[in-house]
Amino acid sequence: MERGYWIRSKPLYDSLVWKQHATGHVVIAEGEGGIAVLKLFQQMCPREPIKLLFADDTSATKKYADIITKLVPEGLQVCESGEAVLAALREQLPDCLMGTQFYVAGSEAFIWAVIEELKVYGVQDRNVEKELSGTLARSVYCVHCKTTDKDVHHSIHQCSGCGRHLFVRDHFSRRLGAYMGVMVDAEEPGNIPAAEEIYP
Amino acid sequence: MNMAKNLAFKQETFRDDYTYSNSAEAIRRFPFPFAEDEYMYSVNIEQHNGGAPGSVFEHAIDVDEHYVAECADRALVLEDDPLRYIALPHMMDAQWDMVELVMDSLSTDYPEQFKLTKDGDNWHWINKPLGIDQKFVFGDESTLPMQPFEFVGRQVQGDWIILDQRDDDLFADMGIVTSQADWSMAFDAGMSFKEWHGPVPQANELGIFDRALKYLLHLQYGSPVRRLNWTMTVNPRLDTSPENYPLWGPDNVSVTPENVGDKVHLRVELQALFRLPRSNAIAFSVRGYLASVNELATYPRWAKRLRRVLTNLHPDLSEYKGLDFYRQMVIDHLAPMDDGTELELGTHPE
Repeated sequence: MERGYWIRSKPLYDSLVWKQHATGHVVIAEGEGGIAVLKLFQQMCPREPIKLLFADDTSATKKYADIITKLVPEGLQVCESGEAVLAALREQLPDCLMGTQFYVAGSEAFIWAVIEELKVYGVQDRNVEKELSGTLARSVYCVHCKTTDKDVHHSIHQCSGCGRHLFVRDHFSRRLGAYMGVMVDAEEPGNIPAAEEIYP
Repeated sequence: MNMAKNLAFKQETFRDDYTYSNSAEAIRRFPFPFAEDEYMYSVNIEQHNGGAPGSVFEHAIDVDEHYVAECADRALVLEDDPLRYIALPHMMDAQWDMVELVMDSLSTDYPEQFKLTKDGDNWHWINKPLGIDQKFVFGDESTLPMQPFEFVGRQVQGDWIILDQRDDDLFADMGIVTSQADWSMAFDAGMSFKEWHGPVPQANELGIFDRALKYLLHLQYGSPVRRLNWTMTVNPRLDTSPENYPLWGPDNVSVTPENVGDKVHLRVELQALFRLPRSNAIAFSVRGYLASVNELATYPRWAKRLRRVLTNLHPDLSEYKGLDFYRQMVIDHLAPMDDGTELELGTHPE
């Protein structure tokens, strides 16, 4: 399938930059997203109120919470985990004003989990600033049994739901926050290419 | 010949023993898509407000000899995998739009087979070929045995995807999709127009989708449009979904020079787009027509044309459409029928 053409459903991620003309700013980040937060706070901060929800990746050696605490005097909430960040966001969203600008940084799975929360309040993903940080790991949706596996690093992935070996297509669903996985050896059962780490 | 009056529905299968075939009349009206010896993507949109009598373009929704068998195959697919039907919650107006479009079209164009009586919002629908007799209140979901769009979606051929229009884009927020050429409604639900078409090679480069989207955003109620698209399928299988790729994948490598003429089918999609009045959504119907290489080759003109198109096909498109394994075999099979004479422009069989 891959002959060098670009698939448009694959999301593009940029570096976080403060947006103008907002009533407030909410920054949501996890793990290596801490670097993106630090870069963001090196820019001239907007005048409107800023909220920052952050959690370190507990399994990672590099931690950012302490540095961020020193740099961001107000509006910072450090959480225990990415899950806790999502819970805090869910709690605070009802108080956000129309015109709030959102910024997200972290793994791809984290970014789309955040957007899923924002969607409930009518925030379109195109209006959310997103920076992919740390890992290129993908969430993969098995088109056969509909299981979604997180943290997939290899070109061929064995589905945890049905055990099939899946080829990871570059086709991304924002609603599912995942790439499509399709059985790789359907035509010739057992003919499974070696898995290579291509999403480190 | 007036198809509407003389419709005889075939008992046939699109799986397992694959008894599907086309009558001589069905081959004759097959929407052969190649007007020239070379094929490349284009927007190729035209008005869909009637066509030549007997042709697949005559009516808004074409009903042919495969109607009953195709509806039965759809029911089987939905039974195995209910997620082939998806309607996001904000699409209820569009569901009723679809009830109106399907019932009005079929009862007007095929009065022998379908009957619709309206007394205000009290509607009475009779579908003779499928044996359905249903009274319901238009706009009241509780008066139908299932969601309104699923109810009518099970009574039409082809896949239907309903596109919600907002923010200058179209979103695939509803669909009944059981006979698709390797794409997934469950996966693509909620996607925007360009995301949904993401995997199509060459077309982005040509700016096709930008232009098509601009055009569709201005589609008017009462002025539907259509285009043809095509691929090839091994065996007359309607459900070539990624979901069931483990079932049909092995068929792709079962083609041999001996069976290629009967096994390989040209699959032409008549894609029609209708603006819906209440929801302002767009109904996108993808109606597939299947004919084996040998059925098409009963017309020498089509045999020659098909051979030349496949010979000249861009390698990206061949790979995307999944033809690589057997394309050369089809070309070789048709070679003895192609004397190299120049063919005039047009898709007609003779």
